[in-house]
Amino acid sequence: MTKRRKNLIILLLSCLLVTMALGMITGFIAGYWSDVTDDRMGMLLFWVIGAFAVITMAICMIFSFKWMQSIDEAAREAHKAAWFWGGTGGMSLGMVLVILSSLPQAERLPLSTWLDGRTDPAAFMATGALAMLLLMTLGYTIVWAWWWWKRR
Amino acid sequence: MNNRLKVLRAERNWSQAELADRLGVSRQTVNALETGRYDPSLPLAFKIARVFSQPIESIFTDGD
Repeated sequence: MTKRRKNLIILLLSCLLVTMALGMITGFIAGYWSDVTDDRMGMLLFWVIGAFAVITMAICMIFSFKWMQSIDEAAREAHKAAWFWGGTGGMSLGMVLVILSSLPQAERLPLSTWLDGRTDPAAFMATGALAMLLLMTLGYTIVWAWWWWKRR
Repeated sequence: MNNRLKVLRAERNWSQAELADRLGVSRQTVNALETGRYDPSLPLAFKIARVFSQPIESIFTDGD
């Protein structure tokens, strides 16, 4: 194993540990304050979790950057193709759903959110964003696998 | 683009993994290069030329 690969694995494990620790702290705070009815405390909790989310995503970005630097040019090309074709393909599918959802007739559709039965606008927004991410990731995975399959 | 990577590698009795190590790429990339399904960047083409001690044009030829 090369030194570069070893360093990358150490970085990955460190990122995983930090994000797991952050997740546990966030979960603890959310659980501890779950029965808080005070609006001010509720908003404080909201921003604390927001800060943890920003830190976690920043760590993920740092790792992605290091990882992208560590792979060779063909692997990078596969990811670029996957991002462009798979990502935009998934986004196009998602846009069909966005267009349909924006029609007045969609009001009659029995849509539900993925967030524990919540039906507030934020829950629907999160569900839509997650659906879009899911479709883009699906497209990404398919194109990435297809790129390598064609070059096997 | 056509190339003589497979022949040059066979002449040296190197495995794909060994060549990949020398080039600093993955074995899958060496395979994609050998089958002509992936054209290397200029820096990688120069590296390949250095590893085989041959000029680039004797390894890679225009496929048209």
